[in-house]
Amino acid sequence: MAENNQPRIGVFLCHCGTNIAGSLSINDIIEYAKTLPYVVHSDEYQYMCSTPGQGKIVEAIAEHNLTGIVVAACTPSLHEPTFRVATKEGGLNPFRFEMANIREQNSWVHMHGMWDEATSKAKDQVRMAVAKAALLEDLIPKSVPVEPAAMVVGAGVGGIQAALDLASAGIKTYLVERTPTVGGRMSQLDKTFPTLDCSQCILTPKMVDVGRHPNIELLTYHEVESVEGYIGNFEVTLKKKARGVLSPEEGRAIGVDGCNGCGDCAEVCPVIKPNPFEMGMAPRKAIYIYHAQVMPLIFTIDFDSCVKCNLCVDICGTKKAIDLEMKDEFPVYKIGTVILATGFELIPIEEKKEWGYKRYENVIHGLEFERLICASGPTGGHLIRPSDGATPKRVGFVLCAGSRDNAPGIGKPYCSRFCCMYSLKHAHQIMEKIEGVEPYIFYMDIRSFGKMYEEFYYRIQNEGAKFIRGRVANILEDPKTKNLHVFTEDTLLGRPVDIELDLVVLASAVKPNDGADVVRKKFGVSASQDGWMLEAHPKLNPCGTTTAGVFLAGVCQGPKDIPDTVAQAEGAASAASIPIHCGEVELEPYFAICLEDLCAGCGMCTNLCPYSALALTIKNDRMVMEVTEAKCKGCGTCGGFCPGGAIKMQHFTSQQIVAQIDAYLLGGE
Amino acid sequence: MAAKSYDNPELDQKLKDTYYRLGDSNPEFSKNILETSRTLANMCYQCGTCTGSCPSAPRSSYRIRKFMRRNVFGLEDEALTDPDLWLCTTCYSCSDRCPRDIAPTDVIMAMRNMAFKRDIIPKNFLMTVKLIYDSGHGVPNNDANRDARARLGLDRDPPTTHTYTEYMQGIRKIIDSCDLKANADRILGE
Repeated sequence: MAENNQPRIGVFLCHCGTNIAGSLSINDIIEYAKTLPYVVHSDEYQYMCSTPGQGKIVEAIAEHNLTGIVVAACTPSLHEPTFRVATKEGGLNPFRFEMANIREQNSWVHMHGMWDEATSKAKDQVRMAVAKAALLEDLIPKSVPVEPAAMVVGAGVGGIQAALDLASAGIKTYLVERTPTVGGRMSQLDKTFPTLDCSQCILTPKMVDVGRHPNIELLTYHEVESVEGYIGNFEVTLKKKARGVLSPEEGRAIGVDGCNGCGDCAEVCPVIKPNPFEMGMAPRKAIYIYHAQVMPLIFTIDFDSCVKCNLCVDICGTKKAIDLEMKDEFPVYKIGTVILATGFELIPIEEKKEWGYKRYENVIHGLEFERLICASGPTGGHLIRPSDGATPKRVGFVLCAGSRDNAPGIGKPYCSRFCCMYSLKHAHQIMEKIEGVEPYIFYMDIRSFGKMYEEFYYRIQNEGAKFIRGRVANILEDPKTKNLHVFTEDTLLGRPVDIELDLVVLASAVKPNDGADVVRKKFGVSASQDGWMLEAHPKLNPCGTTTAGVFLAGVCQGPKDIPDTVAQAEGAASAASIPIHCGEVELEPYFAICLEDLCAGCGMCTNLCPYSALALTIKNDRMVMEVTEAKCKGCGTCGGFCPGGAIKMQHFTSQQIVAQIDAYLLGGE
Repeated sequence: MAAKSYDNPELDQKLKDTYYRLGDSNPEFSKNILETSRTLANMCYQCGTCTGSCPSAPRSSYRIRKFMRRNVFGLEDEALTDPDLWLCTTCYSCSDRCPRDIAPTDVIMAMRNMAFKRDIIPKNFLMTVKLIYDSGHGVPNNDANRDARARLGLDRDPPTTHTYTEYMQGIRKIIDSCDLKANADRILGE
């Protein structure tokens, strides 16, 4: 510590190349900083974040016996950790560091012809940072142990891959899925581009693996009910929806066999409903499985349509697998980290009235096409026109159906990223299966950006698919033949076209799955402007989120195809395993502290706290408030409210904030 | 910039240099269109939804997408001297469906305004100005219509300026306020 306990502040300015130095005068600010109270040293460098830049901080602490560091550079969300490490290396407590953001909040927004104004504003920013730095205190972060278990929410291909990776790394993993089976969208697809692998064939081995991996606990037909806690110590309450059927494990626990998937129950069930797995194009019973390859192979009762006739109970007989009185349960799981992989669904494309989906029988969308062309689908793989069951001879594929669409309504401004490729694949599939068929692909741009994708485009063109470069303006139905007239402009010929087709497939835009927003909010994850979940950094942290311990995989973060989804899932699994393998995590010491001498025990703060971190307690015969530090996120709600000023927000104390305001209002040239 | 003349005007025309060069663009034209049309005309990505929706396109050489492109490139002369500019029926189908939320119809209207300032306008449009100036109607009533109205039990003239001729004064005042009639007469006289 310095003599007389006077603060000794060092100020460092970063040029950030010309990002900062190109818009304001670094030298003026350096000279100005020297005139500020407690500043004993000021310096500048091209890139303060570089090794020599950080070295300047380390050396200056020793040379000038500094007690506080101010760096005027970019945003703290980028380099605060960097400079804290440098401060620590110099021998100071890392929280003796304060940052002034003169890039995002100054040079970048005052770029052209505002040199003097930007310089003057930067002086204000530095003055305020110095005022706070003079009052900074040593803080010691707390380490908390990490629960050695992870959860994956959503069991499509992304969630399955993430769970398998985590489990194979030796981590107990709960794989949560709201439908009765794992598999997700990929299990609905017939083939995958560009390799034309059978989708089910490559996915089912992984589905089987998650079912029997000793470290994976499969929680199908479960939903996230509520989330408490923080990284390392989440407490997740799930809603175990009443399935009406006991699994073999559940059966064994009460001395019965449980469901063996024989299907006798579905055969006798008198209630018929559309099967959502087949996009409603095939029937299922009130007691059902989606398809033959479900994991786990356990039937499920749709209690919304079950008439409780007991026929299934009778036929199940001694296995006693069916319980029509089953109720929802709410088990709680303790986990260290979580991966969200909640996937996507199609936009309600019928709201684009000009394309006639749901108005014209022979207009279908991409997922319906997948089921119709799939050998295990409702037609046994024979593509038919819904209006008459005939085999279509001319089929249109409408790309960008709601994607890249800025108009008000259901359209999405983003590219859905996989529709070009699956439409090319669809064209290939019909040419393979139907003699003499003519596919017409209506496109704006063919985005075939992945490995072997452009080559696939070449192949489909060579096979004879017709490409018309024009976005479809509208579709009209011939009421007699139910044929469709597709209108657009062939923009390359500059000629309007009217093409009569037997069947039209809309490559509909995608959006976050229904309910993804609810899960997102429960885990405190933000959404980006386009509605998908927000990653911590689009380039450098694409799997993380701004909530520590919560990671993202697959389309829930933005449209991506299967290879990209699997890659991100593996990345997310790796990231989610790090805190668990480390065994403990450091928490930011920004929690509230109760100054018990000042606390009147009124308890108003306890109701305000959004994290249930505060409670009243008796100490020395007095009622005072007590903070559970691990639960406190340092939001400051209580500190700002407390009528007695009895709550101190560490690193954001009233004195520090008032000093900054004073410095702004009273200081300056 | 024909490389060589063959003393044959038709052949010279066919062989003339048609390169687009940066100097052909007038950025002021695009700016003007943006201000006049009040729609983000510069955001067109040439998908063809407009032409595909256009009732005029299959029956004429009018391609609204081409005008949108000329705007983006600032090809003022090419846009304003093309007689197709006047084939838009202003039905607004393109504006309804444009995925970039542009109103191409308003771009056409802006171009027509700019063309008129350069005295580029088809005669029939000027005749319409005269008709409105004289009767208040672009398509005035005629005897066949009057007989039809009478058969239907209606007054022979509709309750518009045809009946209330005293309002013609106000209509003429509006038209004269921007010298529309005077300009129409001048151009027709030339």
